[in-house]
Amino acid sequence: MSGEPERSDDAESGSGESAPRQRFVLEETGFDEVPKKYRKYYRKWKGPQDPLGPNEVLCPVCKVVIRSTRELRVGDRVYCMACFTRFSVERASDGGLEARIEY
Amino acid sequence: MADFLSAYSIQYWLESCPQGYLDGTEYGHAPGEKEPDPFVSDPMLRERAIQSTVQLVVGERCALAASSGLINAAPDEASKRYLATQTLDEARHVEIFTQRLYDLGVPKSDLESVIREHANPNLVKFAEVLLEKVDRKDFVAGVVGQNIVLEGMAFTVFEMMHAMNQKVNKKFAHTLSGTIADERRHVGFGENRIGSLIQQHPEKKPEIERMQRDMSYFMLATFADAFRKAPSEEERARIRAELGERGDVEWQGKSLASVDPSEIEALLADTVLKEFKLRLGRVGIEYQSPVRP
Repeated sequence: MSGEPERSDDAESGSGESAPRQRFVLEETGFDEVPKKYRKYYRKWKGPQDPLGPNEVLCPVCKVVIRSTRELRVGDRVYCMACFTRFSVERASDGGLEARIEY
Repeated sequence: MADFLSAYSIQYWLESCPQGYLDGTEYGHAPGEKEPDPFVSDPMLRERAIQSTVQLVVGERCALAASSGLINAAPDEASKRYLATQTLDEARHVEIFTQRLYDLGVPKSDLESVIREHANPNLVKFAEVLLEKVDRKDFVAGVVGQNIVLEGMAFTVFEMMHAMNQKVNKKFAHTLSGTIADERRHVGFGENRIGSLIQQHPEKKPEIERMQRDMSYFMLATFADAFRKAPSEEERARIRAELGERGDVEWQGKSLASVDPSEIEALLADTVLKEFKLRLGRVGIEYQSPVRP
């Protein structure tokens, strides 16, 4: 199988922000719906009361939270391995980040 | 081409599904888990559980027929291989929900008659609309009907049922969580495959929109029938008292134990329709509102 589960590394230049990105150590959260080595990059979403971190974005297709080892920024590209969907990260109307699907 | 499937393989499916969330399970739940007592001993709860499980079996039989039928209609090898794994997912769903009927005390010899007795006629019509497209080997309409409309509905219904059973019936909640994980792949395939195909075949949009409107109508009629047959307020009060705190669950911000069945029906229908509109809109299909049954 090819392809990384999170593709934010592709898009460092797409951020347009100069401050260094925060780094995150990802731990397993019990998400077991993708092959073992990719599991730490995903977690289950608990609904609207479940806030997303600066390194997280919600997959609008299958409602899984995609996690990166680095802070996500507008223009980053991410991949949801649980439903095979590719996204670009955009600014949501509430100021947070949201995923826009790339068919 | 289905580029989004370039990372997909049978190996990926094996590592995610049988060797992932289904590892160590038995008919989708932990070995030894049983239907809790009130669902077997209380005649009203048992009957309700059988009725709702029959609808799941009917829906999954339709999904099995559709996904297997679409393999030979698929225009590319990657989609054929993906649909082969979905076919096995759907066959597993038929099996685990059928097993639940046996666990609830339905004798194997009575299975088909129990399904015939309880199958909602509107759900059967919903399935017929989809299977007519599959029989004609109409891949685009078949995938929209199966992986966006049917699976989109199943995704929401399973999530609601999972919330309702999490405290009161861990065995069934575990069974449902595996099916929800499967649905993620199914809805993902639907949106990603159709997103590109509909751009190549814009002439198919009106027919697909009609199919979606018809399927949505029969889905809403199924929900209406199911909630119309809800127990009386007196019966519901008795069940609430029997289940205690375990029966008090929240879904979409509402306490399901304290609201009227008609409110749950409206909440479910609105949640599913909202998802349809979003999913169809993303792939370039305009959602068509059906007449409310």
